Amino acid sequence: MFDINKKILDSARRMGFGDVVVISHDDERKQIRFANGEITIAKNWYARRTEIFVERDKRLAGTEITSYEDSHIESVLRNLYRLTESMEKREDYYGIAEGPFEYVDIEDTYDSRVLEVDPVDHVEAAINATGLERVAGVLYVDHPRTYLSTSNGVEAEDEGTGIEISIRAFKDDLASGHATWSSRTLSRFKPEKAGEKAGMIANMVENPKLGDEGKFDVIFDPLAIGNLLSMVGMFTSVMAVEAGFSFLLNKLGKKVASDNFTLRDIGNLPNGYGTRKFDDEGVPTGNTAIIENGVLRTYLFNHSYAKKYNMENTANAGVLMPHPWNLYVEPGDFKEVEIFDVPRAIYVTNIWYTRFQNYVAGDFSTIPRDGIFLVEHGEIKGAIKNIRISDNIQRLLSSVDAIGSDVHQIHWWECEIPVHVPYIRVRDVGITRATK
Amino acid sequence: MEDLIEFALDLALKMGASYAEARYQENDGMNFSLKNGELQGVGVTKTSGIGVRVLLNGGMGFASTNLLDKDAIRSAVESAVHLAKSASRVRKEPVEFSEEEFHVVKYEVGMKKDFRNAGFEEKMEYLKRIEEEVLGTGIQVPMRYLAYSDWVEHRIFANSEGAYVESKIPRVDVMYNLVVVEDGQMEQAPFVSTAFTGGLERIEEAKPWERARKDVEVLKDLITRGKKPPEGTVDVVIAPEVSGIAVHESVGHPYESDRIFGREAAQAGESFVKPDMLGERIGSDAVTVIEDPTLPGSWGFYLYDDEGVKARPRYLIRDGIITEFLLNREYAKKLGTKSNAAARAVNYDREPIVRMANTYLAPGDHSFEELVEGVKHGVLIKSFNEWNIDDRRFQQRYIGREAYLIENGEIKNPVRRPILEITTRALWSSVDAVSKEMEFYPGTCGKGEPMQGVPVWMGGAYARLRDITLRR
Repeated sequence: MFDINKKILDSARRMGFGDVVVISHDDERKQIRFANGEITIAKNWYARRTEIFVERDKRLAGTEITSYEDSHIESVLRNLYRLTESMEKREDYYGIAEGPFEYVDIEDTYDSRVLEVDPVDHVEAAINATGLERVAGVLYVDHPRTYLSTSNGVEAEDEGTGIEISIRAFKDDLASGHATWSSRTLSRFKPEKAGEKAGMIANMVENPKLGDEGKFDVIFDPLAIGNLLSMVGMFTSVMAVEAGFSFLLNKLGKKVASDNFTLRDIGNLPNGYGTRKFDDEGVPTGNTAIIENGVLRTYLFNHSYAKKYNMENTANAGVLMPHPWNLYVEPGDFKEVEIFDVPRAIYVTNIWYTRFQNYVAGDFSTIPRDGIFLVEHGEIKGAIKNIRISDNIQRLLSSVDAIGSDVHQIHWWECEIPVHVPYIRVRDVGITRATK
Repeated sequence: MEDLIEFALDLALKMGASYAEARYQENDGMNFSLKNGELQGVGVTKTSGIGVRVLLNGGMGFASTNLLDKDAIRSAVESAVHLAKSASRVRKEPVEFSEEEFHVVKYEVGMKKDFRNAGFEEKMEYLKRIEEEVLGTGIQVPMRYLAYSDWVEHRIFANSEGAYVESKIPRVDVMYNLVVVEDGQMEQAPFVSTAFTGGLERIEEAKPWERARKDVEVLKDLITRGKKPPEGTVDVVIAPEVSGIAVHESVGHPYESDRIFGREAAQAGESFVKPDMLGERIGSDAVTVIEDPTLPGSWGFYLYDDEGVKARPRYLIRDGIITEFLLNREYAKKLGTKSNAAARAVNYDREPIVRMANTYLAPGDHSFEELVEGVKHGVLIKSFNEWNIDDRRFQQRYIGREAYLIENGEIKNPVRRPILEITTRALWSSVDAVSKEMEFYPGTCGKGEPMQGVPVWMGGAYARLRDITLRR
């Protein structure tokens, strides 16, 4: 689609725009949804579309087109031009990255065999692995192709594949387990492992009792902490910080987590579901320590925001809003059994519905779902239900006392940004429940 | 476009589908945001495409494309048919739809002040007025994120059973996030939205800039004069913004039939409500909850759902008794009844699933003043920030933003962050009276996979809850 990109780029430059970014997508995606052990719907999406971003004297505008006749492109660009005439300057805009750049292929991001699978076979394998009748979930097969051209000399192309499953198994209404598995290649895709884990957690739940409130050490399954960190990941974008949606405001260089906690964004992570060779300005993606040994080292930047803050560009464009690619928590040296070896803790296997009372202060609550267990000295002592984690996100990150050694990739409905994370144990987490 | 839709339906039937539908949608609009006074950029929205859904051998298949030519449509239909066949391999019983009466109809929501004819500068004035009002208070508001968006949704739906529905629904939304700092403390009014179906006249009547000014004054007042919520058991009056989110979360969602039957189990979850609970008491006599897509100007407005079924008000709870679930054709068939037009899809590339539209607590016979006068010791919660609910919709929490102490029937000082954490049964059983006055608030309801954020209204009357322990 570079011919289309070039046509748009040339027209825009002729018209008098300064910075121009054109990103064409040619994406195919399949989905199999299932519930109660049967397939509820199977879907296929095809979309060919082109995002256009233009700048004229610090006035920014964007749109998306899906038809490519010369007259349509001209008309769309002319409309954007007219629009910029009535706009005010954005004084804190400092341009897009200067290319061209060199790109390297990233391991385990494309496997043509993924596109040839019968997804129903994998769904059946995962359902069977749960050992339970009442099973729900979703399987995706992805084939994204991205073509980027910019007015600063960038021409870049990325083609990837992906296959992932999210599965929830029920022993009864109050006894369920959930697990996921995401992979960019077929050889690393293990749907039956997700099924086994979901079934195992569901089977561990026996007559859950109403949980107590108070302060508890909490062992977060990678699925549970992944969901929470996916949200934290959005708070690391400088755009979220400036807009009043982040507890990381004014904390660059300061301690925001415990010493053992390092959070990275890795755009070129092999097998990462969010991996791409380049950001939306064409800068090769890389490995950024956002929080290193508990200290906030950087926000996520594009070229313009990096200039504004006099910081290094982290290759996270979005031209308007920088965003993470794959979040990655550095593993610790705790084996799984060691994480559970505490006098008393709650093991939370999944959470959902995280909401903030105050984004800048970081006060929030989130709701454990699926199996929730009391743990004593490494042993499961029973299941509990109907509790809520009510705490402060920075306090929680500052109370991490054990991090597992094995990293799991989490990406599903409740975890929009892929998160690679081990088991994590946190001290003195606030737990509440309904008062009536 | 009609030709392509007809082509899709004919081809699907020829390929063996027992049912087929095709839905074209075009969205056309503009959006922009102002961050701390700086215009971030302007986006022009123009997307269109067709989604095809079929039933074959008891399996359901769906495919969409944004290429609007016969080859692309043929490919989408072939794909949907093939997928339905694959899906039918793993079915215990076939997917079937209820029988419905269908119509050939066109409708359009009018705009007195058409945003398609208004320039960018005119729309920008709304955000500038919010800036002026907020900064004009002299209160420190160092973080201000303001956003404007408008778009027209043009839909054409047809199915193989004779339905043809064409609609044009314009939407306009002004949103802000404001962070107030005072005495080194910080309070926030996030994602406060003023949104309607209709034209710019709706925004001009609602005056979101006045609400924004009041919000920052309230936040400052909260920091400087706010006290802890009272200890022990108290009475609580919840205002329409709070009763609205409560009916949405703990009545609307658990009454969605697809959740009740487990179809959303791996995403938004299931429901504590079971099919045999129709007719069961869930709240006091004072509680009636209505779901009505047909409210003029509402954010959740539609007259026909995305399965072509004519919309009507649904009484989810009447006088404390569960009376009706939200149904699409698939679950209406399972329950041996007819759909009540709750199937919605946010765009052409999404399947229609069971959704709310405008959910509200029906008005009662008290005035707001009478509700407050009847409280000896309690709290009025006017708005909220944090909220959530478990995935069976049984234990929820709402934390007040603007809230006040009530003593001997009078509203007193602000109260900081009263926390109502309560089960659904206890919440609706604690209501002893509701107000005559009603208000509505817009929201985006998230459900489905991939996520479908659909516009909804939430609100209704004030409600008085007896004997509540608030968290502090």
